[in-house]
Amino acid sequence: MNDNVLEIKNLLKDFPGVRAVNDVSFDIKRNTIHCLVGENGAGKSTLIKILTGAFTRTSGKIFLNGEEYSAHNPKHAGEQGISTLFQELNVVDQLTVEENLTLGIEDTKFGFLRKTNKIKKIIEVLKDIEPSIDPKERVSRLSVAKKQIIEIAKAVASDADVIIMDEPTAALSEGEIERLFKIIKKLREQNVTVIYISHRLDEIFELGDYVTVMRDGMHIGTKPLTEVKDRMDLIKMMIGKTVIECYEPRDDMSGEVVLKAKNITNHKLKDISFDVKKGEIVGFYGLVGAGKTELARAIYGADKYSGNIMFNGKKLGHNPGKTIDAGIALVPEERRTQGLFTLLTIKRNIPVMNMKKISRAGLINAASEKNVSKEYIETLSIKTDSMEKETAKLSGGNQQKVVFSKCLFADADLLILDEPTRGIDVGAKAEIYHIIRELAKEGKSIIFFSSELPEILNSCDRIFLLFEGEMRSELQNGDDIDNQSIIHICTGGN
Amino acid sequence: MGKKNNEVMNLKRGKMSNESFINLSMLAVLILLFALASIFINNYFGVPTALNLVANNWYYIILGIGVTFLLVSGHFDLSVGGTLAMAGMLSAYFVQDSAEGFSPLASGLGMGYGWAIILALICCMLIGVINALFIAKLKVASIIVTLGTMSVARGIAEVVGLGAQRSANLPEIYGKVGNLSLVGPIKIAAVIAVVLVLAALFVEKKTVFGRRTYLIGANQEAARLSGIKVERHIALLYILSSLLAGITGILLASETKAAISTRGAGYEFNALVVTLLGGTSIDGGFGSVAGTVVGALILGVVSSASFSLLLRPEWQFIMKAIVTFLAILAQRYALDRRSR
Repeated sequence: MNDNVLEIKNLLKDFPGVRAVNDVSFDIKRNTIHCLVGENGAGKSTLIKILTGAFTRTSGKIFLNGEEYSAHNPKHAGEQGISTLFQELNVVDQLTVEENLTLGIEDTKFGFLRKTNKIKKIIEVLKDIEPSIDPKERVSRLSVAKKQIIEIAKAVASDADVIIMDEPTAALSEGEIERLFKIIKKLREQNVTVIYISHRLDEIFELGDYVTVMRDGMHIGTKPLTEVKDRMDLIKMMIGKTVIECYEPRDDMSGEVVLKAKNITNHKLKDISFDVKKGEIVGFYGLVGAGKTELARAIYGADKYSGNIMFNGKKLGHNPGKTIDAGIALVPEERRTQGLFTLLTIKRNIPVMNMKKISRAGLINAASEKNVSKEYIETLSIKTDSMEKETAKLSGGNQQKVVFSKCLFADADLLILDEPTRGIDVGAKAEIYHIIRELAKEGKSIIFFSSELPEILNSCDRIFLLFEGEMRSELQNGDDIDNQSIIHICTGGN
Repeated sequence: MGKKNNEVMNLKRGKMSNESFINLSMLAVLILLFALASIFINNYFGVPTALNLVANNWYYIILGIGVTFLLVSGHFDLSVGGTLAMAGMLSAYFVQDSAEGFSPLASGLGMGYGWAIILALICCMLIGVINALFIAKLKVASIIVTLGTMSVARGIAEVVGLGAQRSANLPEIYGKVGNLSLVGPIKIAAVIAVVLVLAALFVEKKTVFGRRTYLIGANQEAARLSGIKVERHIALLYILSSLLAGITGILLASETKAAISTRGAGYEFNALVVTLLGGTSIDGGFGSVAGTVVGALILGVVSSASFSLLLRPEWQFIMKAIVTFLAILAQRYALDRRSR
């Protein structure tokens, strides 16, 4: 047997309009901790989903222990030796630890459960990894960290060759992380290879034997971590030589302040203060879980917070309806579940944030309703054969344009955009950027939340960096902006 | 402009909306059933039968209006049957003389008829307020809450009616309103139903209120983020539904000049069945009062035809089962629309 547990050869995955994984080839050595890093959208999760059988590849080959490998679903992958610790834990809260460990592999006789050696063996494995967990304990009483350990034990007991861990420390405290790292290092001695994915670069240096960097769907490099000099070295590989070609500084940066947020604090956000000027595009950049959506929703009044937000001299409250009346509109993070009424037509969607404009005394003026839809279909070039088309049937980009139309029709002076280009193709993204810039030119202010640095860099005048609910830095966009230090800050560096 | 303009403005001709399609489909089913009944039953075909269909099913139509609006918004109302009985019973109790010497079932508060009705309707709307409080404010599932208020309202009717009926010592006018005849079998109640249906269709199609009902049913979270006062709207719908149930109850009690505590038992389910039969989606966001009216008439044709054909009332549940399965098919269609 050669010393590679996994060999990935020319792997390719296409989604409509996007090549998510582009001709990726690399090997993973047996009994190592192999880290996988890259920005959001670099193709890490697509690659992992192919390995676990959640996605089917477009082309390319994968060899597991020298034999060709493919999986239809995570269970099938587990049977062949690749187990995954997903971010959403896969344990059943209502059952005991023991029941969880044997879930799906129970031995039965005449339909009754039997206690066999297999179960004893699994419990031995758990005891070995973490003696403090009582097998009879109900899982709902355990901490997130201990739930993860149960999943790890299950994977080890099923003789997994490879365990994939996707951001396992996201919900853990410092002590728990230390404990988890000890376990991960121990796994290496038990003939298990760990593929470790994390945004926190310090963890990579503490834990990893090898690191693979991905960017824009491509494999940038695989190195032993001993050959990586420091964080900056790694960050350079992650972002490459991204040139900010599109950003043009505005001539006049001195607009009056329209929004002033002071000390916004809630379950996720820690004491955030900032202001936004008229006609300015302000960007908030941070990784997943940095608190971007929470901040967007707080400003909009959709979630509770303490602190004070003034808009045009008036205090904003906790009621989206009143926020809209004050002149603020939100393009929410989840287009289908929060932004659109997918089973209703375009014509029914566009006017909803400002029904007053198409009605009088509660009666809808059908003609003006039609004109409004016609106007926005034309100005935002929404591709459809009819305004009577249900929005569910539109492409992602066109759906997002309908959401933009809703906000524009609300006559907002300030637009909050939460990941406005998520899941839409490159062409539509460019159109959305164009729309955003045009709006700013018209004097509207924009707050742009994104976890994709390039789009923040090419659209925003000022950039705020978020990390774990805290505002870490404020930068003026321009030629001297330093991508590396941005990534450094947003991955937890100082 | 020019070509593009035309493309945008013209709906694809010849392709009707999903709503029109299901309404016309169910109308076709209604006509088919009516035709079948006319073939097999002597003297079934004719204007009198058609008028009877409206005359005998108006209460499902009125109840169906409130139930349809709520279902479009994504909520159930199973309390309408109990509320209906409560309305009749309270209006009787309020209007009966308070003179001593009468039996407890014959003496009440001695109010004027007008006041008695107004007060009874206010009590009904309180049932709606309870529904709204638990469903809109405390976010309890509507099917559970309205099952509870169904018993609350029915329970009040039972207690006030001492488990029986209040029919003695009622003023003349109590039995008038429900029996005012206009054309043939058509009484004032049926006319009220028709007027309410027209008003409901207007609200549904032409007003901001109607539009919001669909938006909430289509996506409650998106509606909230679009600035719609979702809780207040759901509360209004529940109060409206209870008010319509109250009106129905007062008219029904007047028709028989008796407030019966078991009146309208099971009507909540019939109102739901006719609504579903009319193609209103059980998940909300899609449907119409027009469909509900057709649904009520289908139920009417099936029950009247089965009665004439079989002459045996015990078969009516089987016939109703057939109607229910028709409703299930209509739902299959409505839900397919919804998921696309």
